[in-house]
Amino acid sequence: MRISYKWLKEYLDIDLSVEELKDKLTFSGIEVEAVHQSNELLDYIFIAEIKEKRNHPNSDHLSICQVFDGNETVQVVCGAPNCEQGQKIAFARVGTQIGDIVIKRTKLRGEESYGMICSERELGISENHEGILVLDNDAPIGKPLSRYLDIADTVFDVEITPNRADLLGMIGVARDLSAQLDLDMQYPLLKDYNRSDLGKYPVEIVEPELCTRYIANVIEGVTVTESPEWIKQCLIAGGIKPINNIVDITNYVTLEYGHPLHAFDKSFVEGGKIIIRKAHKGEKFPALDHNTYELNGNELVIADSVKPIALAGVIGGLNSHIQNSTVDIVLEAACFNPSQIRRTSSEKKIFTDSSYRFERGCSDKVAETVAQRAVDLILTICGGKLTQTNDIYPNPLDEIIVILRPSRVTKLLTLSLANSELISYLTGLGLELVKEDNDALSFKIPSWRKDLTREIDLIEEIIRLHGYNSIESKPEKHEITNKTSFYLRRKVQDFLVSQGFYEVLNLSFSDPAYFDLLSLQEDDYRRAAIEIMNPQGQASSIMRSTLLPGLLKNAVYNYNHGQENIKLFELNKVFFKSEKKLGTEKWVASAILSGNIGPIHWKNKTESVNFFYLKGIVESVLALFPLNKFQIEPCTEPFYQENLAAQIVVGKKVIGTFGKFDKKIADKFEFEKDIYGFEIDFTQCLEYQNKKGIIFTEIPKLQSVSRDISFIISKEHSVQKIVADIIQCNPKLIKEVIPFDEFTGKQIQSGFRSLSLNILIVPETKSLTDDYINGLINNIIDKLKSKYHIEMR
Amino acid sequence: METKLNQIVIAAETAIKGAQSIHELMNLKSEYIGKKSEVMNVMKTLGSLSPEERPAVGKIINIAKQKIEALIDEKENDLKEKEYLKTLQDSKLDMGMPGYAIQYGSLHPLTIVWREIEDIFISMGFDIAEGYDIEDEFHNFDALNTPEDHPSRNLADTFYIKDDVLLRTQTSTVQIRTMEKYQPPIKIISPGRCYRNDRPDASHSPAFHQVEALVVDENITFQDLRDTLNTFVKKMFGSHMKSRFRPHFFPFTEPSAEIDISCVNCGGKGCAICKNSGWLEMGGAGMVDPNVLNKLGIDAEKYSGFAFGLGIDRITILKYNIPGLRILYENDIRFLKQFTFNN
Repeated sequence: MRISYKWLKEYLDIDLSVEELKDKLTFSGIEVEAVHQSNELLDYIFIAEIKEKRNHPNSDHLSICQVFDGNETVQVVCGAPNCEQGQKIAFARVGTQIGDIVIKRTKLRGEESYGMICSERELGISENHEGILVLDNDAPIGKPLSRYLDIADTVFDVEITPNRADLLGMIGVARDLSAQLDLDMQYPLLKDYNRSDLGKYPVEIVEPELCTRYIANVIEGVTVTESPEWIKQCLIAGGIKPINNIVDITNYVTLEYGHPLHAFDKSFVEGGKIIIRKAHKGEKFPALDHNTYELNGNELVIADSVKPIALAGVIGGLNSHIQNSTVDIVLEAACFNPSQIRRTSSEKKIFTDSSYRFERGCSDKVAETVAQRAVDLILTICGGKLTQTNDIYPNPLDEIIVILRPSRVTKLLTLSLANSELISYLTGLGLELVKEDNDALSFKIPSWRKDLTREIDLIEEIIRLHGYNSIESKPEKHEITNKTSFYLRRKVQDFLVSQGFYEVLNLSFSDPAYFDLLSLQEDDYRRAAIEIMNPQGQASSIMRSTLLPGLLKNAVYNYNHGQENIKLFELNKVFFKSEKKLGTEKWVASAILSGNIGPIHWKNKTESVNFFYLKGIVESVLALFPLNKFQIEPCTEPFYQENLAAQIVVGKKVIGTFGKFDKKIADKFEFEKDIYGFEIDFTQCLEYQNKKGIIFTEIPKLQSVSRDISFIISKEHSVQKIVADIIQCNPKLIKEVIPFDEFTGKQIQSGFRSLSLNILIVPETKSLTDDYINGLINNIIDKLKSKYHIEMR
Repeated sequence: METKLNQIVIAAETAIKGAQSIHELMNLKSEYIGKKSEVMNVMKTLGSLSPEERPAVGKIINIAKQKIEALIDEKENDLKEKEYLKTLQDSKLDMGMPGYAIQYGSLHPLTIVWREIEDIFISMGFDIAEGYDIEDEFHNFDALNTPEDHPSRNLADTFYIKDDVLLRTQTSTVQIRTMEKYQPPIKIISPGRCYRNDRPDASHSPAFHQVEALVVDENITFQDLRDTLNTFVKKMFGSHMKSRFRPHFFPFTEPSAEIDISCVNCGGKGCAICKNSGWLEMGGAGMVDPNVLNKLGIDAEKYSGFAFGLGIDRITILKYNIPGLRILYENDIRFLKQFTFNN
């Protein structure tokens, strides 16, 4: 529905900015979907005077005017029949944009023209295009038209929820705002007629279930003509096209109260009687939309003695509508059953402002108000005399009383409002306080609020008007879980389990003798273990600073119990002396591996645990964090075999080591087979975690290219450096270099190896030609030749 | 000429029907309707005919050609179908052979139960609070209202690192540290490793695992404590399980209670495990002593709270019917393997 801010001010003394009003509406349940500033154009149209007018020498219907706009006098060629010297007119200067047209300096039939004198239609004020808009004589020359006409307006497109039929009129919206903002509501003044003198116009309701009230008023001797400007403006703001004063008034009152009305030309109501009945099957009805509908007997119609003259509540008839020749009218204000209207409207596919409102439910009581309002306006504007009336209201509705317990409001909303505030909100909405007891306020519900039947409905109204967002938040519960650490520990555990590792839990105590068994240097950080004052024995006299001895003992235990294939891990705390009173606690993830990687299988042969399997597991664990900028380099970890020990380095910080246990060390732990291990500083890894998270990147649109190269190279050179060098050749295109084969053997000179690399090239913006790719590969080969003296295979 | 074409068609039909492979069939195709075939040769003579004769003769040739084409198509389908059926026959295998063996390891049963407890409390809106294994006396004893001369402070009961630094004997230490740091509302559990100077046996271990819960807020009542524990017990052990309280004494709660739950083995009927009582002792609970709150700067008039502690090791051996604690720390693969897929 469209709400004109200007119109709204007729009922409310309200002075909010457009933004503020938009918020007030939206946050009380009337969602504003769009805001239109009507007629900004009028800021750029100026009031001017026609100083002189003469006929165009080369045209019968054009005239040449000298126009003074307060600034200068210019010549304008005008085609309007009603332009006269001395008139105050609306003037568009050269350069003004009206619609899609920019007014330019032009020549019409040989005469210069510097601007345009506007009609109402050109200004978007009305549909009138018969001549120019002539202003009153007191209009101030040189002022923008918007200041004078006072028709600048803001229109809000709002969405009314289906439970709120009462908001389908300006008064409903104004009333809701008045309750919210605690403003007085100024309803239109209605005249009191002495109806006892009036004759009774015959009305018969055949279907009292479908038409609960029918009020007819007969006004004789009206003058049908154009409506006054203010009505037309209201209708246009409301989205309805002005037609003539009678029809416009019925539409105006519809928009004002949200309750539709209809007027018939009395002379076409045959038999002088209105009958509300079901249609006869096969009956034809010529509607105002210029379609003729064949009725099936289910429709409710308004009929005279002979024919249907309206589809009740949906659309009027072409056989009885108001025309310029109309003198006497019958004005209908009625109330129809919503389901009946909905059914007819959707069956016939006729959707009107009237059906839209009736199918959401109108009030029997409001029917009386709108009848009176429309009669007032017609008598004032169109003249004539009220001669006959009738009001058929067979079953007046009972009053509805709802009791509100203020204590319940508090309980449900955590909102303590004084009774006076509660009453103010609800009476603002038109409810009437009929009784006030301790914790029980009895309200009479107005007829237009059929949605209010229970206490909870009233509580909803209160919080809706008070503001949902005014409810204070409870104190927030603190985020205490260290989610990153908590869930990553689970992730690491789950990953290792998925790779066939068993989790062990060893006690936190350890034996200082292990440090010597592991050949740790005197200054090794792991020797800074925390001692227990009252240990149960030497073997448990310190808090452990590494998990590996415990895991080695577990390996021995299991090997001695017949397990050949051992993959065990522990993710637990280690402890170090530090300057802190309580020492330093850290999480580490450690594992030992011996025997086969996986179970035996007839088709999928398993390998023994080896350095590269270990390395793969370690890299995968690091990827879980994810930790992306780490280096793996050779190291000297005293208990790992020389040449088979590696450390993980981020920057200069070592965050873990892995390798194959030196034979001599394994012997000391009485383990006779090959055994590998790793220990990763979990706590430290968390610090180096890549916290960026996943952000989608566009999938490459161009086909990637993959090339293989194979060459013989000295064993001295690490593949890591070679790969880095290859990528360096063109980091934008070369996305990945994967070693896929390596061998040594009889064919290859000792000290050398054969390496095969797969190079993945992903073009970014344009496809690459074969020549280009070959050139790139040749560059790579040349670079490797000069740097590493490779020999291509 | 028509006779000649008929003969060609008859010869082609015999040859095509006898084809044994697609390859052979394709050879026949070029032989009978290929560029150098007899049919095509006849086609080439069309040019020498008069314009009146050409359409009729052309039609005859086309009919012959189409017949041969149809025969070839039909045969081709036959042969493809046969080949397909043969592939099916050849691909038959013994589905009884083992699938690729992907061997999972397992979490330690304590971890499995630990996680389950955490997840139950997380679903009830609790946070997980963690703390130090090595603690000071204040957080382990003083802040918890433990009297100076309480026997639990003895060297015989508690491991000490220094005079006032020790291995925590319960995770209540984390409750204290949480209340030092945060004002209510607080709703945490603190699972973790604790230490007591006990010699290892079937029911004792010098290191063991405990989970404690602490809730402090306005209007926290004894009813909340009972409900929280009941909900936990039902989610952990099954909806038929019950819990009950027996009055007890703990220095940091008032009132204090010991918690019993229905015997997980017999469900309350009475058995050897519960010594025919139908109940098992599960931990301690109570309303946080106002002194504890006040000492930590939490207004005990405005706020109240409850706390309880449960043994993870005990819950684990009850849940899996494990005879004693010792095997939990042996880390025997044959034991651990039983818990594969149980996480």
